Amino acid sequence: MQSSVERPPEQSPDRVRLEMLLAGIAQGDRDAMAQLYAAARGAVYAMALGILRDPYEAQDVTQDVFVRVWDGAAGYRPQGSPMAWLLTVARNEALMRLRRSGRTGPLDDDAVRQLPAPAGLPAEERLALQEALKTLSDAERQIVLLHAASGLKHREIGQILDMPLATVLSKYHRALKKLRTQLEGDDAL
Amino acid sequence: MTDRELNRRLKNAIEHAAPNDPEGVLARCGAGKGNVIDMKKAIVNTENKPVRRRWTRSLIAACLALVLLAGGGGLFYQRAYAVASVISLDVNPSIELTVNRSEKVLTCSGLNEEGRAVLADMGDGADLKGAKLDVAVNAIVGALVRYGYLDQLDSAILISVEDADAARGARLQQELVASVDGVLQTAANQVAVLSQSVAADKTLDARAQQNSISTGKASLVEQVISLNGDLTFEDLAALSVEELRDLIRIGAPAMPIGRDAALQAVLDFAGLTRESVPYADVDPELDERTPCYEVELVIDGQEQDFGVDAFTGEVIRGVNAPSVTDPGPALPQADTPAITEDEAAAIAWANAGVAENASTVVKQDWDDGQLLWDVWFLEGGYEYEYEIDAATGAIVSYDREPGSRTVTSVTAPVSPGPAADSGGSTASSPAADSSAASGDVGAEAAKAAALGHAGLSESQVSRLKCKQDFDDGRLEYEVEFSADGYEYEYTIDAATGSILDHERDWDD
Repeated sequence: MQSSVERPPEQSPDRVRLEMLLAGIAQGDRDAMAQLYAAARGAVYAMALGILRDPYEAQDVTQDVFVRVWDGAAGYRPQGSPMAWLLTVARNEALMRLRRSGRTGPLDDDAVRQLPAPAGLPAEERLALQEALKTLSDAERQIVLLHAASGLKHREIGQILDMPLATVLSKYHRALKKLRTQLEGDDAL
Repeated sequence: MTDRELNRRLKNAIEHAAPNDPEGVLARCGAGKGNVIDMKKAIVNTENKPVRRRWTRSLIAACLALVLLAGGGGLFYQRAYAVASVISLDVNPSIELTVNRSEKVLTCSGLNEEGRAVLADMGDGADLKGAKLDVAVNAIVGALVRYGYLDQLDSAILISVEDADAARGARLQQELVASVDGVLQTAANQVAVLSQSVAADKTLDARAQQNSISTGKASLVEQVISLNGDLTFEDLAALSVEELRDLIRIGAPAMPIGRDAALQAVLDFAGLTRESVPYADVDPELDERTPCYEVELVIDGQEQDFGVDAFTGEVIRGVNAPSVTDPGPALPQADTPAITEDEAAAIAWANAGVAENASTVVKQDWDDGQLLWDVWFLEGGYEYEYEIDAATGAIVSYDREPGSRTVTSVTAPVSPGPAADSGGSTASSPAADSSAASGDVGAEAAKAAALGHAGLSESQVSRLKCKQDFDDGRLEYEVEFSADGYEYEYTIDAATGSILDHERDWDD
């Protein structure tokens, strides 16, 4: 048996800061909007990409989400988690995009488009995300991407995706195993 | 590759692939919003007391204008005065509507203080008279969302329909649920919509009235009492629908202390006053393995999470006492949980009905401020995962699925330590026992090998972690630590103690 100690994750982006940014946006503060965008665009993109599997559609949805946030920030109440609220907006937007496109689920394997290859992104990192899109099941993909990008706890991810905590944990660990196998070869297990 | 490294790669790739065009978003955002939230007030407003806003009044007015237009100017809404159905909406606020056979609202009233406050911007409910029922209900639900009553992830709203015509009642119930569900889908899609048909019952009506709740909520209270006759109607009436729903789920073993008492317990525990805390939130989690209230305080910008036993009022978990002049009693420290890892494993094995299991991996973890032991093992072709509360030993969650990997590389099972050594515990003894039997050098030797290679002692490093793993068909240890601005990662062969791989990187 072995053990390890994990400290509580840092609040990143900081919850209180997000609360204040949303309050600013509700008052029409464009600088607050730009700051929120910088702090949360990765997490929102992860949610959209996890659902859609299409890197370019997910980019469109990410932009749309922040416009919706601008319009709807006044509806946010500070009792909940701001990141969870933001990601719920993102999830709804991505699901709506799926419905509008007539698709009932994410793209087929063959239809998954290559990720953009922006300058400065090491090949192995791009490959890890590409494999996550190809290899993981819908639920596994959403959990892994959200966990990597949002800093949310497994319990919060379960609440957003409407899954029991144990299922989230189980799928998460299995997904990482699968990814490692893909990235390191068949004998990685 | 470690989990951490894999996560880092994914996070980097996502950050790079995500759009980075804030100007594009801002170009699509209109000028000044006008929808002003006084966040300072809202944050202080933690007991869900409504904060009235001017825009709410104009919104309701606009909504009602539409209602009246849809209703043909309201000239015919009093086709009949006889009450055909009584509909109640309960969250914490309780609101009751009566409608005629044309499903037009005859009366709308708040049954408790919170309900009356929600209706204040609607002429205390009078503005909804004559409105079609579904429109009126949607307006009320919209107000409940705006006032923050449906913000929490497990919030619940109860819709109750009382109608002598059972078929009409059932239809109304179905239509209202669909309508409310539609509103909440966009506004607060985490909310559970509960519904029920309530038979006319004068006794129940009277009890409901005495306690300022709806007949629908009274019916829910009766359901709880049917599970535990020791609980009183008056006490239960003060709980929210969410709390009542959860009590029914868990068989109503006792009377929960309530949200106010839970908050007070934490304040007392931490030596704080309500005035000294700018933000507090209480979320009932009565349907968890250890029924509790999750209390979150923000002090000096720092979030502090606590758990309060829902029935005893005891603070059962918390992280670092808040920095105030009188910090109160020290909270349980992260590194000294009441339940040891061996005990956590034993709890999981006992629950699964298995003996000691050589594949068991135990990790300490945090979730929502709760210190947990994550216990994982393979048994009989199944993969088991448990979360054990490190303070109480309660099983927080568990899962069993067909196993996806084998442990053939482990050659010998873990043998239980001698009774004298283990204090009579049935849990396996620490790694030393299994090490000898399986050719496993053990976690301590693996850590020593890594630290030795780095030229560091344990006291010189931070975030030291040692994790056992199966990789490339063999048992390994992954050792991680940080020192002097660097992050070190080692892979150690568990059989020989030799270093298979190592990496040093800037610690970001």
